[in-house]
Amino acid sequence: MSKNENKEIDEIKKEIVLERLRQIPPNVKLSFGSKSGEFMSSDKLIEEVERNTKIGKKIIDLQMAYLKAFKKGSFMA
Amino acid sequence: MICKWLILKHSKRVHSWLKMACVLFSRPADDVTLNYLYYYSKSLVRLSNSQGHKTINKELNEANMSLVTSLIIKQKPNLIMFNGHGSPNEICGHNQEIIISSKINPAILKDTITYALSCSSAAVLGPDAVKNGAISFIGYETDFVLGKDPDSEASPKHDKVARLFLEPSNELFSSLLKGKKVGDAVEKAKEDMLNNVNYLNTTKSFPTAIYYAPFLFGNYLGLVAHGDNEASIN
Repeated sequence: MSKNENKEIDEIKKEIVLERLRQIPPNVKLSFGSKSGEFMSSDKLIEEVERNTKIGKKIIDLQMAYLKAFKKGSFMA
Repeated sequence: MICKWLILKHSKRVHSWLKMACVLFSRPADDVTLNYLYYYSKSLVRLSNSQGHKTINKELNEANMSLVTSLIIKQKPNLIMFNGHGSPNEICGHNQEIIISSKINPAILKDTITYALSCSSAAVLGPDAVKNGAISFIGYETDFVLGKDPDSEASPKHDKVARLFLEPSNELFSSLLKGKKVGDAVEKAKEDMLNNVNYLNTTKSFPTAIYYAPFLFGNYLGLVAHGDNEASIN
């Protein structure tokens, strides 16, 4: 796979995850154990993904891993 | 008859003495996330005491590098639990002071079974600690994510979401305190995490449940044990 194709796939993954994060109601709070210990709302999660931060990349990885597991039928219906 | 009874009594005492371990807890609580871990690990300190283990609990500002590392050197605990922020190379204590770092003191965990409830420390520090003589290092290769119920007003006791994230972790350390093998304790915690993911995916009891599921699944994927999976404190 070429570099450009990889980049394109990464962009598609990012869009999928951003769309999923946009569905999360603002009262859902998550802490990533970042050093501040703050709980983040979906707006902040979206910002992290859009800015390609370390946490943003981790959010993409775990959301994609979850979707793959879902497709494989790893969860109860 | 009396003689037989005395021998039995004596052997029982020796047996229970042999099983008693030294357990060290490092439990900072200087922000909201750490306060949740602090609250949830209280029951583990109680369990450790009730199991008859020599229990050393360093909490709040006592969860610092100088105190915790000197206790590890002097008391040689068999089992250690670290709550705290972390990174691939380190585990922190109160005020984010580094307590263990793969660059400074990975050999300090020699001969211990360690569970680090901290972000990513199993990625680099875990294998480094094992290379330097740790029996086992259990932790997370990725960020440990914690969900919070917006209605709980940051009260861990009433937080139905945080419970789903932290109870499997408690189950893991409880198993170790009860003498279960590392591999079995990790497997049971993973099973509990997956059950909780399934619950979040399917429950109708609160409408936001499903949004937490991918993040708890991330903890499931990130939980690993380096070193001897057959090890226990027995």
